Amino acid sequence: MVESLVYGFTLGAILYLFSIGLSLTFGTMKIINFAHGMAYTLGVYFFITFLRVFPGTFCISTLLAVLCMIPVAYIVERFVIRRLYGESLDYAIIATYAVLLIGTDFIKFVWGNVPQQVRDPVGLSVSISDFMIPVYRLIIIAVAVILFAGLNILLRTTMTGKIVVAALEDADGVRCLGVNVNKHFSIVFIFGTLLAVLGGILYAPISAADPYMWLSILLISFAVVIVGGMGNLNGTFVSAFVLGITMAITGRFWSQAADTVVFVVMAIVLIFRRRVA
Amino acid sequence: MDILRALGFRTYGKKALPVYKEICVLTVFFLVLTPIIHMYRITDFMIFCIYVMSFDLLYGYLGLLSFGHVLYLGAGVYISVLFSIYINSNPLLSLLAGTLGGGIVAATLGLIVVKLDGASFALVNLAFSQIGYFLVTSTFQRLTHGTDGISSRVEAWGFLNFSDEYITFSFILISMLLVFYFLRKLTSSPFGVLIRSIKENETRVTFLGYNTFLYKWITFLVAGTIASFAGGIYTLYVQYVSPTVLNPLDNIDPILAVLIGGAGNLYGAIAGGLLFMMMKDWLSSHFAVWQWVLGIMLLIISFWFRHGFTGFVMAIRNYQRKKAVTYDQDGAQG
Amino acid sequence: MRLLQVDEINVSYGRARVLHDISMHLNQGEIVFVVGRNGAGKTTLLKTVMGLLKPWKGSILYEGEKTLGIGPVKLAQKGLRYVAQDKKVFSGLSVKDNIALAAYSNGVSMPEAITNVTSIYPKLNDFMENKAGGLSGGQRELLLIGRALVGHPKLLLIDEPTEGLAAIVIKDIFRILVHMKTENISAIIVEQNLSIVNRLADRIYVMREGHIIKEIDNSRQAEDSHELENYL
Repeated sequence: MVESLVYGFTLGAILYLFSIGLSLTFGTMKIINFAHGMAYTLGVYFFITFLRVFPGTFCISTLLAVLCMIPVAYIVERFVIRRLYGESLDYAIIATYAVLLIGTDFIKFVWGNVPQQVRDPVGLSVSISDFMIPVYRLIIIAVAVILFAGLNILLRTTMTGKIVVAALEDADGVRCLGVNVNKHFSIVFIFGTLLAVLGGILYAPISAADPYMWLSILLISFAVVIVGGMGNLNGTFVSAFVLGITMAITGRFWSQAADTVVFVVMAIVLIFRRRVA
Repeated sequence: MDILRALGFRTYGKKALPVYKEICVLTVFFLVLTPIIHMYRITDFMIFCIYVMSFDLLYGYLGLLSFGHVLYLGAGVYISVLFSIYINSNPLLSLLAGTLGGGIVAATLGLIVVKLDGASFALVNLAFSQIGYFLVTSTFQRLTHGTDGISSRVEAWGFLNFSDEYITFSFILISMLLVFYFLRKLTSSPFGVLIRSIKENETRVTFLGYNTFLYKWITFLVAGTIASFAGGIYTLYVQYVSPTVLNPLDNIDPILAVLIGGAGNLYGAIAGGLLFMMMKDWLSSHFAVWQWVLGIMLLIISFWFRHGFTGFVMAIRNYQRKKAVTYDQDGAQG
Repeated sequence: MRLLQVDEINVSYGRARVLHDISMHLNQGEIVFVVGRNGAGKTTLLKTVMGLLKPWKGSILYEGEKTLGIGPVKLAQKGLRYVAQDKKVFSGLSVKDNIALAAYSNGVSMPEAITNVTSIYPKLNDFMENKAGGLSGGQRELLLIGRALVGHPKLLLIDEPTEGLAAIVIKDIFRILVHMKTENISAIIVEQNLSIVNRLADRIYVMREGHIIKEIDNSRQAEDSHELENYL
């Protein structure tokens, strides 16, 4: 049971890293970014390649993969998101889904369809009372918590952070002050994407990597963001862990229902929520 | 009706009549002219067109983008199949069961989703579609045989023998025309005007005293029911079904079809459905990895051709007439 | 050259036309009021001048340059400011940070910006670290106007500044507007409070159902207060 809880927290951590970018992008630009899933997957594949080229360098490979994804994120933002943002939300959603399709096929083309395995880089376990808990999972949880704290600090102290907090509430109001809000949104977008890449890489040793690995996490992440509140960053943190734990515990008793339970929770939350969405 | 004039067809008298002729002409045209597109493919296409028309009602006319419409197609399929196996193997009753069953699902889920805003609406439907897939492959596995799939026990009834190509084809063609007729009537009626007004500016419609929730719910219900109808027909025709009909990745299909053809008008739905299926056929037979082409098409449409094929044709026609671009009562207004 | 020249702009929400061939102008240093019943299109007019809405017909010239398609960001940088009717501040940020955003975009130092705002409303000094969301309606309006004055703007667009405010706050706002006039800052103000309108206006535009039905030159103040009421 404790193992399930730890696993739940680990899932929550990964979900948080992935969802924060989605929530930010939605909160600021009102766009559902399906391409987020593509970035997540592509980042992991870059990582795997780097790991093969430089064996044994988990951290450096991670860093390299994240760096490689910066231009990818920039291109998606510059040429797809920025052009459609502000116009109909529908076309933005559809266009990001298109990027996802293209990216997935690109991955299939370059790396093939076969799932890839990554080994646990730490390989150690700690014993807490009677249970063996992989250290690696604790590291993941720690990373998520640190990033959460860091993000909160950034939002409060940097100018970009303040602009984002203001813009989440009233983007036009910020514009009317003469602030080039879009430029900061781009920064936020890229940052959110990189967090998802990090999440994917951290998760890779626990799961395998395949071109469609985005499917399950993307859907659950949508649930996380909806339950936590679109654009509500603290809410996303809480709902990520709540849903992660829900999944882990459900998975223990009825393994295939784990995903579905999350959606049921989401549906219940929606039925009883006062405000729309 | 402008699109028909734009394509050069004459329209006269009541609207319904010429439409039948046009579509029959189109279908015969395909049969006769292209050896690649066999009758069984046309039948597939027609089922898909019914499905796309149902989606267009929801998206093109009401403006609600659902990323989970495949759920209703699948619901129609599985409820029909299960009905034919466990309750009664009459084809029409199975079809009716599938349609009504899907309608009930749409009615229930509609209560939850219809009040949501655009982004949540899109995603929650996607989530429900995933739940549907799960239910069929896991929870009800004993009934549905999960991923193995299941054969329907539909028998012939009177002259309706679905193992006969020609009868199947005619039945499905007539079904599609009926759906077209029904939707044409619905969208031209005050109800149609109302939902298009809701698409444009829901707040104003509310201020005028209408219960927009009710109308959105009804539209969702109708769209879901027709999609289930398409699913039920598919069962009659295919005889063996598997959970792939509920694959959440297929949710993009009707979206792309409607965008290719032009949202907000029924001809667009049919044109889009045909074009999409033909493209899919051609691509999948020539390339191992082909979804990226759909991706590129989606991008091109999202940026430059938002009104799809029918919009493009109308624009050309209007340019020729040197008029400002206007759309008829059924046309998509950007 | 006029500071603002609006020529026959037409603005619609979807298929509903809200502004019909609106023409108006503003000279440097003028304070012009726009009055009219609710729904006349006054807010739409201000938003269009600010670049938040696009007219599908007509043109707007600000300092001689066309503003169509420029957008609120650049217009704000050129000296245009907008204070919305809903008195929205950035409630998640502190009062200080609210001012910081204005300072940042205008290249003004924080101390100068703070002085800017507190010289208008000294009590705000006590609230600097508080979340702006906790301010009362009147305090918000004063913060908003003060913030709009950061960076030496040329033209303020203010939408119903005294709406819902106590008389004492209205006095403060009136004082600020008078001060603005002495600083040669121009303004277009939507206002329902006719006493303020009469005392401050250089000119008055009366709007009804998306049209400007009358332009009143307020240099003859006493007579016009009755004329004004007649139009509303």
